[in-house]
Amino acid sequence: MKAIPAKETKKLLFTPIIENNPIALQILGICSALAVTIKMDVTLIMCIALTSVITLSNFFISLMRHYIPDSIRIIVQMTVISSLVIIVDELLKAYAYEASKELSVFVGLIITNCIVMGRAEAYAMKNPPIKSMLDGFGNGLGYSFVLLVVATVREIFGNGTFFGVQVMPDSYQVNNFLLLPPSSFIIIGIMIWVIRSFSKSQVEEDENPLKAHTFKPLRVKKEVQSG
Amino acid sequence: MNKLIIPLIACIACAIVVSVTAVSVRSEQNLNIENEKKVKILAAAGIQTDKIDEEFSRIKTVFVDFETNKLVTTEPAYDHIKAASNPNLSSVIPKADDIAVLKRRENIGTIYVWVDEKNTIEKLVLPIRGYGLWGTLYGYLSLDSDLNTVRGIEYYDHKETPGLGGEVDNPNWKSDWYGKKIYNDDGSVALYVTKGASSTDYEIDGISGATLTTNGVSNMIKYWLGDNGYGPIIKNLNEEIEKI
Repeated sequence: MKAIPAKETKKLLFTPIIENNPIALQILGICSALAVTIKMDVTLIMCIALTSVITLSNFFISLMRHYIPDSIRIIVQMTVISSLVIIVDELLKAYAYEASKELSVFVGLIITNCIVMGRAEAYAMKNPPIKSMLDGFGNGLGYSFVLLVVATVREIFGNGTFFGVQVMPDSYQVNNFLLLPPSSFIIIGIMIWVIRSFSKSQVEEDENPLKAHTFKPLRVKKEVQSG
Repeated sequence: MNKLIIPLIACIACAIVVSVTAVSVRSEQNLNIENEKKVKILAAAGIQTDKIDEEFSRIKTVFVDFETNKLVTTEPAYDHIKAASNPNLSSVIPKADDIAVLKRRENIGTIYVWVDEKNTIEKLVLPIRGYGLWGTLYGYLSLDSDLNTVRGIEYYDHKETPGLGGEVDNPNWKSDWYGKKIYNDDGSVALYVTKGASSTDYEIDGISGATLTTNGVSNMIKYWLGDNGYGPIIKNLNEEIEKI
């Protein structure tokens, strides 16, 4: 096995954070980003859970990649991913009970998280184990970055606290809208806008541009009335 | 055939790892669940504390025989929820009486009582359960020393729709229970969840979009505080508690 050059390691680990972020650029895994970003501590646990699942699943799937028949590869990937998720869920129930109650179904939903499935299918099936593991970890970091930013905004302005500690003055009127899931759509949207205005390469081409002058004003025939 | 060997080994390995993990952390999980129940019992009675065990040492756990409506003694580890599914320790509820859709009721129920030095009741917590929309709701109802005024309600396990029936966990809704009365002047259960806002001491605010869940809540109050449940023992609990 060849050692991976430091440059490539760095690339695998850090490009998914800004340049190729799974949420901001690929728009994957939005569901949990909406649901579990109300409180920082819960969000952090979700990030750790997802990062560990994606890292390990990429590693194990990559180990087996030459032996998985093409026709059942998704099933094998799901088996590995769901086993890891169940283990994480059981461990959370045992050692972080409060957080696991708040995360409820969203830990189980890591199984269907598009980022985990996507990295397994797109990267781990074609690359050696250590590289896949780094890729998984990098994508986990990218996901965590977005979630933690969203949770920071939502907890500070929606609840006036940060990790449960009061940070806003008592006179601050909390914004209840930020505690509802749709607010993360707006925060993620603003994040994407900010990221893309700094790195123009992420801006997508307009697939269905409006043609110029397609709108013709209606001409009402006046003869109809007189007739 | 050869191709399937690695996926097969992977499946078996996954199954083994998952089951080993599940079994090895089971005791920790059960501790958490027990702890959660204790927190909910205290929450129903309106107590918020970190020293759960200390507060729990003040509680007297008494057992009531639903047949004779007397307090009885049983082993301290008795679990009334487990007993309810054990044919030897429970009995079938006649269909006409089974308004909370429980099918079986344990023969011996549990009541958590706070007593002062003179053995008079300060407050108590009754376990209640009943069918909502998707499944059985398990919870605790707390009464004041007059054995008629509600102190609070708390559900620890239910499968109701989040945002609709799941709003039984909403602190605002739970706070509406405080100070409500169970029995009217005739001594029959009058408390129920109404539609819209509550106007009397026997009404609880309705939850929009959760008619079936709130009907379930009303029914379980009616069942458990009625004649087939804790009703008879509550009426002479003060005398009964002296005997223990």
